[in-house]
Amino acid sequence: MISLFIDTSTSNVSISVIKDNKILSYINKETPNMHSVYTTKFVKDALDEAKIDANDVDNIMVVNGPGSFTGVRIGVTIAKTYGYLIKKDLTLLSSLKDLAISANCNDVVMSVIPANKSMYYVGIYDKEYNDIEEEKCMKKEDVLFLCNKYNPYIVSISTSVIGSYKVNKQEIDPLKIVEYYLNKEKVSYHKALPNYLKQPQAVEAKND
Amino acid sequence: MQDIYVLAIESSCDETSMSIIKNGTEEVCTVTNTQIDIHKEYGGVVPEVASRTHIENITIVLDELLFRSNFTMDMIDLIAVTYGPGLIGSLLIGLQCAKTISLVTGKPLIPVHHIAGHIYANNLEKRLEFPLIALVVSGGHTDLVYMKEDYSFKRIGSTLDDAVGEAYDKVAKVCGLEYPGGPLVDKLAKEGNDTYDLPLPLNDDTYNFSFSGIKSAVVNTIHNEHQRGNEIRVPDMCTSFQNRVVTVLVKKTMRALKEYNAKNLILAGGVAANSYLRQELTKACLENGINFSYPRISYCTDNAAMIGAAAYYAYKKGIIADQTLNAVAVEPLYNEK
Repeated sequence: MISLFIDTSTSNVSISVIKDNKILSYINKETPNMHSVYTTKFVKDALDEAKIDANDVDNIMVVNGPGSFTGVRIGVTIAKTYGYLIKKDLTLLSSLKDLAISANCNDVVMSVIPANKSMYYVGIYDKEYNDIEEEKCMKKEDVLFLCNKYNPYIVSISTSVIGSYKVNKQEIDPLKIVEYYLNKEKVSYHKALPNYLKQPQAVEAKND
Repeated sequence: MQDIYVLAIESSCDETSMSIIKNGTEEVCTVTNTQIDIHKEYGGVVPEVASRTHIENITIVLDELLFRSNFTMDMIDLIAVTYGPGLIGSLLIGLQCAKTISLVTGKPLIPVHHIAGHIYANNLEKRLEFPLIALVVSGGHTDLVYMKEDYSFKRIGSTLDDAVGEAYDKVAKVCGLEYPGGPLVDKLAKEGNDTYDLPLPLNDDTYNFSFSGIKSAVVNTIHNEHQRGNEIRVPDMCTSFQNRVVTVLVKKTMRALKEYNAKNLILAGGVAANSYLRQELTKACLENGINFSYPRISYCTDNAAMIGAAAYYAYKKGIIADQTLNAVAVEPLYNEK
């Protein structure tokens, strides 16, 4: 069982080729605003390093958001096209849940990723990584409300504080993520889309 | 010689288009998804909305293309893609799709400049003959280009401010016409008379253009008339505007043909669909013994067929990209000084 993991939702491009429970290759580089240049190259490099032919991939697992709109679209476009070519449906991963899975802390976990205009993408999960609350884009006071309500372990892509709550930096762990998602539902490559959690500004303005 | 089939992808603005082109001259099949009805609600293309719509359609358009053409990926020789100029978020979807196809299939990736595509749309009608002058007119460009041979582009003149298509759309907007207004200005101009006193746009000895002056003159005239409580005669305004723009485009194009001793003229870009421009250039070329051609309407708007045609000649010139190809919002095409 060969899995290809693609994450372009942050300022890093992370690509991993995983066979059964072993990482064959893992490329994780910070390429801010240059994901468009490097992502397919890193996919190729990761496959080459793992000595896996592009057509032999069984699972394409791609982070479809939330995160940078453009970043997410790069990963999802590659995954969709790849899936179409090798006739394999896609596993869509949540950037928020991936942080929680990687934290592996056996407690209620809240993932927080900063969006623009002092908004946050937030997910909150139980020990089995089921959603306790629906993943959402919210204001700081709503994040604090959830912090008070659940007193969770809080993770993000960098260390910070929200109110009096400490936010812990969490590196993603592709092996744990791939293991978790291995038997989860897949989505047709035609239907797989980014999970933006936010409307474009023009649409928000129009609906106001 | 073995036939070469190009799979071409174009997503630079609000159209997701894919095409299979044989030997740079023959369209096998094209599938285009246009977003025009989505953007109409906003009075223009919204980049983020365009990008979101491209990603919804990208594999569906590819699947439809292979289905309709009865081709498999094995029968394709080259993968071509528009890398710029255009809306970055839109370009990126086509670009990532093309790079992934090249990665998985191992087929060469050919980067195509959007304007080279518009020029080579003419090659799908009739094989280009050289030397030629190309008048490139669109919402983003107004260029006079000299080509001494295939895939050699020398820009001899360009707009100093607005592109001609941009000026058309702006004039349409201030006249209260629906987006995209350019074609409506052309249509209404047929019913009007040249009654408004507007300036000729940059009527000098260079090959450059300027449309911001006439655009402002239209805006000011309309504003003044409204202040006086007068209604604008929209068809007359369209005629007055179009007559002056086309007069200067034709005049400078004919002078370029003479100076560069070129016997061939091609028209390219979205504004190549303008009926009055076609008519006036046809007339002038007849009088001067110039061989004039323009693309059919479906090749004037953004389409992947033209990208596939250009890619064949780019490939012959040895232009091949690797997996680090990026999209660019602004990029000069011109490779000859």
